[in-house]
Amino acid sequence: MSFKKSELFNAAYSVFALISCVIVGRLLAYYIPTLPGSLYGLIVFTFTLHFRLFDADRIKATVIWSIKHMGVCFVPAGVGIINHLDLIKQHGIAIVAITFVTTFVLLTAVGLHYQRYETHKKSLLKP
Amino acid sequence: MTEYSFSTLIYAALTIISTIGLYQIIALFQHKFNTIWLQPMLITILSTIGILSWQEISFKDYFESSWALNALLEPAVVALGFPLYQHLETIKRQWKSIVFVLFTGALIAIISSFLITMVLVGDYSISVALSLKSVTTPIAIAIAEQLDGNVAITAFAIILAGFFGAIIGPLWLTFINVTSPKAQGLAIGAASHAIGTSIVSKISHEHTAFASLALIVSALITAIISPFIITFLTSLL
Repeated sequence: MSFKKSELFNAAYSVFALISCVIVGRLLAYYIPTLPGSLYGLIVFTFTLHFRLFDADRIKATVIWSIKHMGVCFVPAGVGIINHLDLIKQHGIAIVAITFVTTFVLLTAVGLHYQRYETHKKSLLKP
Repeated sequence: MTEYSFSTLIYAALTIISTIGLYQIIALFQHKFNTIWLQPMLITILSTIGILSWQEISFKDYFESSWALNALLEPAVVALGFPLYQHLETIKRQWKSIVFVLFTGALIAIISSFLITMVLVGDYSISVALSLKSVTTPIAIAIAEQLDGNVAITAFAIILAGFFGAIIGPLWLTFINVTSPKAQGLAIGAASHAIGTSIVSKISHEHTAFASLALIVSALITAIISPFIITFLTSLL
């Protein structure tokens, strides 16, 4: 029973940690509007864990669960495409084709470039 | 008044429960049949669009009912800080190369998308929209507005880029022999932002950490350099 209680406590603790980072993120976005609040919040969360302001062991289970299921939160925004069906009918094929091709160009460029750097680094470390 | 708000609440609860239910059922099928095309997020979005058009429900009503789900997006993105924290030491050591790789990537993405769209479609506002599609939605929309891009097409292309990169990305990267989880994560975060990051989070924590990092750094770089590049390219054309 006490185990169950502590699990519940950890979940509440994690929610508190996430919400405080969301609030700090929003404040930052208000004063320095370079990045949106959620990205500031992400950075703040990383650093609060790094500097042990929040206990990562307590947070781990809840946060991993949230990340596993976060996809569903994108659904309402994604359904928003329905508002632009006319534009999509008009230029759809071109937009889809160009997005497809350039996304692959970007994936390839970043992936190859970084992996080349990684293997280069490894070969330098070898005697 | 109270009756109205009560029924709104019931609608909201029903909308959210059915969205989550549908998502979970597809996730279950995806797990069972192990195919990439049964992507729960994508299929749920498409079926919801189908249901809304069939039942003639306006998007505005749907969005108001599913407001709570959309509001969870912010803490969910914040949660991505956890895998980032777990890999902070590695990232610290490779900071310079990561920024350099992502800077080159953003440059290639903006220039190639803008020029190809200018040539094929010939519309400035669509070209701006497509050159921003690899960036997370709130930033891309802000830049698109600033540069007179088409905001609706920006939003659409962002979702497309998210799915293309996340669903086919890992297969494609493995095919071209980019097998390192760090390189894969970085590439997918750079090309497919938060949608990509949430999808590859199923693969490994290293993927999630590097994708989250790429998501932040690429967004920052694009916000800073895209106005200059697009103004410069427009002056050339």
